[in-house]
Amino acid sequence: MDKYEKLLNMLMDFNDNIRYAAVADSDGQIMWNSQRTGLKNIVPPEETKQTIGRALRGWKENETVKNYLGSGLYSISSYEKIKRISVPLDGGKMLFCTVSNEPLGKSSDGKKGYGHIAEMGKILSIVDFIKTQK
Amino acid sequence: MLMDYDESIRLAIISNTSGDILWHSKRNDAKLQVPIAETKKALKRESDDWVDRCKTADRAALGRALYHITSFKKTKRVTLPIDAFHLLFMSVDNTPMKNTKKKSYGKLVEMGKILSIVDFVNTFE
Repeated sequence: MDKYEKLLNMLMDFNDNIRYAAVADSDGQIMWNSQRTGLKNIVPPEETKQTIGRALRGWKENETVKNYLGSGLYSISSYEKIKRISVPLDGGKMLFCTVSNEPLGKSSDGKKGYGHIAEMGKILSIVDFIKTQK
Repeated sequence: MLMDYDESIRLAIISNTSGDILWHSKRNDAKLQVPIAETKKALKRESDDWVDRCKTADRAALGRALYHITSFKKTKRVTLPIDAFHLLFMSVDNTPMKNTKKKSYGKLVEMGKILSIVDFVNTFE
């Protein structure tokens, strides 16, 4: 099994909120992807490809501030219903996933809910583990 | 309110949809990590990206676009739309925590609180 295929499997196993995960190459071509069984696409695949292309361009442009801010770790675009996450990988590749972000409703203290925490620490530790694999 | 609420916020900017800086506030003891010219470029790009994000939100059933975070080792850049014409951009310290057992990837930005402040301010005339 390719290491990026393993990455997608580990991510989908780790968090049930992850709806879709893909690894794209530096040209934005989807090399591997995994969709949670039983879930329908909220966004048409063509739109997802455009989003992946935009995220890749963003990471290329972020290279210009690497000397000031350090390496890029991840980006999250949060909408009311989903979060879109991108993580730069080796060789210009990129992990892209969508995570359910359905608001929890009003919390016990009566405050408005703005969605779920994406647990980026766990996602990044899985990515780091995969990077160590040959 | 934002600078008072969270000391990790180093710089807060309100820009228009063209990426022009309208108001800004920098924490007194914080040096600018990034030259202002680079920050202006980022604002322009973020503004363009927000137009795309909002169009996507309109086309697909994603719900309202809430915020965007780009996390670097030292800093998180957070942007959120204030209204149809203005964008809030924040630079937040992301220096990894030292006293954790596991590897730290930085600090959590409490977006719920930040969004509630923005929602509160949006209730003003």
